[in-house]
Amino acid sequence: MYRKLLERKGYFFLGFIALWYALSKIFFDKATWELGIADNTSFTNVVGDAAGAISGNRTHSPFFVYFFNPIRLFINGFVDIIRNLIATPSNGHAAPTIGWLGVIAILAFITLATSRIRMAILVITFLLGCGALGMWADTMDTLAMTLAAVLLSLAIGIPCGIWAGLSDRVLKLFTPILDLAQILPTMVYLAPLALFFMIGEASATIATMIYSVPISIRITSHAIRSLNFSPVEASISMGATKKQTLSKVQLPMAKQMIVLGVNQTVMAALSFVVIAALIAAPGLGKPVISALTIQNTGRGFVAGLAVVLVAIMLDRATSAAAMKQKAFIPPTESEKRRKRLNVSIAGAVALGATIASHFVTALGNFPDNFDIATPISNATNSFVNFLVNDVSFLTVGFKDIISIRVLNPIEDMLARAPWFMTLTMFVIAALVLAGKRIAFLTFVLLSAIAATGLWFDAMITLTQTIVATLLTMIVGVALGIWVGRSKRADSLLRPFLDAGQTMPAFVYLVPILGLFGPTRFTAIATGIVYSIPVVVKIVGEGIRSVPESMIEAATAAGSNVRQIITKVQLPASKRALMLAANQGMIFVLAVIVIGGFVGSGGLGYIVIMGSSKPELQGKGLVAGFVILLLGVAIDRVAQAASRRA
Amino acid sequence: MSADSPMIQVKNLWKVFGSNPDKVIGTELASLTRSELRAKTGNTVAVRDVSFDVAPGEVFVVMGLSGSGKSTLVRCMTRLIEPTAGELIFSGEDILKVDGNRLRELRRTKFSMVFQHFGLLPHRKVIDNIAYPLEINGVGKAERHKRAQEVIELVGLNGYSEAYPEQLSGGMQQRVGLARALAADPEIMFLDEPFSALDPLIRRDMQSEVIRLHHELGKTMVFITHDLQEAAKVGDRIAIMRDGALIQVGTPAELVANPKDEYVANFVRDIAKSHVLTLRYIARPLRSDESAATVELDADLIIREALPTVLEAHRPIHVVSGGSSIGVVSAEDVLALIASVN
Repeated sequence: MYRKLLERKGYFFLGFIALWYALSKIFFDKATWELGIADNTSFTNVVGDAAGAISGNRTHSPFFVYFFNPIRLFINGFVDIIRNLIATPSNGHAAPTIGWLGVIAILAFITLATSRIRMAILVITFLLGCGALGMWADTMDTLAMTLAAVLLSLAIGIPCGIWAGLSDRVLKLFTPILDLAQILPTMVYLAPLALFFMIGEASATIATMIYSVPISIRITSHAIRSLNFSPVEASISMGATKKQTLSKVQLPMAKQMIVLGVNQTVMAALSFVVIAALIAAPGLGKPVISALTIQNTGRGFVAGLAVVLVAIMLDRATSAAAMKQKAFIPPTESEKRRKRLNVSIAGAVALGATIASHFVTALGNFPDNFDIATPISNATNSFVNFLVNDVSFLTVGFKDIISIRVLNPIEDMLARAPWFMTLTMFVIAALVLAGKRIAFLTFVLLSAIAATGLWFDAMITLTQTIVATLLTMIVGVALGIWVGRSKRADSLLRPFLDAGQTMPAFVYLVPILGLFGPTRFTAIATGIVYSIPVVVKIVGEGIRSVPESMIEAATAAGSNVRQIITKVQLPASKRALMLAANQGMIFVLAVIVIGGFVGSGGLGYIVIMGSSKPELQGKGLVAGFVILLLGVAIDRVAQAASRRA
Repeated sequence: MSADSPMIQVKNLWKVFGSNPDKVIGTELASLTRSELRAKTGNTVAVRDVSFDVAPGEVFVVMGLSGSGKSTLVRCMTRLIEPTAGELIFSGEDILKVDGNRLRELRRTKFSMVFQHFGLLPHRKVIDNIAYPLEINGVGKAERHKRAQEVIELVGLNGYSEAYPEQLSGGMQQRVGLARALAADPEIMFLDEPFSALDPLIRRDMQSEVIRLHHELGKTMVFITHDLQEAAKVGDRIAIMRDGALIQVGTPAELVANPKDEYVANFVRDIAKSHVLTLRYIARPLRSDESAATVELDADLIIREALPTVLEAHRPIHVVSGGSSIGVVSAEDVLALIASVN
């Protein structure tokens, strides 16, 4: 009975989509509300005027004088302290207060003290690598920005996380805010923040914190909540106060997971600090962006490489520190003594190096006499040229097939049909898939998008998001099944998946731009690369969590591998598949809008134009808001659909 | 307070989980069964109108299957879970009426608890686990370690004071749990299924350990278990609990000899009667064709322990209570009881 209904639903959808396609052909290019990039609507003009009024009030409105400006000054001051220390020459000094040798020595020392000597060697090598790439100053800026954002994030995130871990009411209060922060694409809040805090360090730091504070809160609260309750109850039963139980039982037991949260916070902050170059954050994002703008793949690759080195270094060092917290049993006395000796020797060396790097300029500014950046950049460029010119069937051919056979038809259906038709079709689809409530929500959100006047661009972005998600799901589910079924595949792919998740999305843009040029497809390919790891991980986890007994039963009944996959493992992990699709789509959307930078058009392009052209500021802000509406709509519909599944 | 007044008095204790617990107690809803009430109001009665006394130095066992409310009952008695209604009097003080400060003080000094899953702090050495209740009460380090060392010796943990809980077996971990509960020298100990997570052999050792500690220290104990053998072994009296209510309270012998209903009878069926019943329960009048032996046995002697004497006598033996005979037992009587299929 249920199967029949499902089959009928399948036929209904085939028919529905065919009808949709036919209608879009009939009413092709009518009432699409297409808007030239330089054109404003009356609504975007109003927003633009409002934005102008806000920035005009910066010096005298009490909101600014007593709220936004002090925050901005505080954060700028905080960031500058760290930057002056390691990144920029200051106080009439020719080099930063602590020169390159000192920074390397200090970071190596911290790594040694918190984990193992191998990790310290890795840190030294990677930092030297960044310097050799000619990226020392930018690397230090990125580190300084990341450090500042992480310290501020933890200062807020850990106490709030503990609070949410202890109180259900607080958790309930936080959850919707945290959810929203997680689905918000980067580009959405950059422009509004810049409006209130001006472009630069403060906005970049706050934007980063919007992204990383929720992660810190979530993990800390989870760490407190997932504790074995028995010791906590025992502590209460012995008459401990709440404070005593927290400080003597809950926090010590949750320590490892909280440190793991630091790792996640650092990685989130790093990826965001790089993107925040869009609002003039100092650091490695700057050379990436300038390389993207002039489409110099080689130079972008060099800067991207430095980002990758920093990312791997921070990830390994902080997770190694977290792993060390795992055992509750401390090392023996002799181990401790040896460690203490090592640490004090390293400390003395680090101190000496730091002092030397302060006074000797050659140890302060990274030497630029061995340049490996130019050869790497040139080699990359010639390799990309080879790919594009000599094996174009791999690049251009694939790009064209997807663009003409998949992208264009869907774009015709969504963007180049009358807006009210698309809207109606979406509402009907939501009604069938997810029910009345969600259909109504879809109607409201899409109507709001239409009301802004940016309907056409929203549909362009949506088209690319849908296509990228479809492709992501095809590849991601296949890989996820593989990873879920085979331990070997899991250990083979896991490093790539982990790396993929810790890498800032921006970095992917560089090589993909080289391959496919500034087109829609570049954005889609970047979205796919960025979101595949999360899809593979969720699907793999789902497949793996199918009870062994189910598979044994199916095998005993004589199923072959294909039958086991299609009839047991996939249906049993339906929820994981739905979750993967939901997460994949949110990840894709976030990247697709960044792709506005490399010719994907749509809302992302408007946001970027808005941040550079004053007369388009309003339109850019509206586009950011539309991205938000789109994200919420996608998330709600996908979640409701997966609840129904 | 006189010596024979109870250490603990539980009077009409209720615990109702749900949104509107007060709407249940004292209304006709209170007479509904658990499932009826849940269907009607969404509330769950975990503890239903429970009353009992525990004498000083007594081991009082609360026994029931999982879901019978025994764990909730013991948590209500320590106010880890707030009871919905009732009175809970420890040495004359109603602890349901005391404020947070006084409650903490009572927890620190008057009673302590041992947990099924031990509840040890993984990041602390054994000695610091045991000293924890003293530490939170503000006792200095030297003094609390001295006291902890005493308790370590008492429970047989010598040589383990510097170990971490993870390095110990389950049985040893629960010894740490016991030691911690004894550290502050409380008057009352609550033991919530303390040995349920242990292997059968170790469980038996630990039961004997509790009995030994009880003999040495004479603490009043409230012992929760789902294992009737365990209940019969350690308990002076046993309370049988079902669906939140106490069905019957009595000594092991009383429960075996006079089960109040089918449920209790089913429960006690597996207990070897000769291990809990005393001669009093099988004494019968001397038949005219018999002549009694010259030896006499006390009526409160457990049958198993009387066995050698009865078998040797070859004749019925008089069972004496308060100086006069209440009847006789013969070898056949005893063997018939041992052989009887329950």
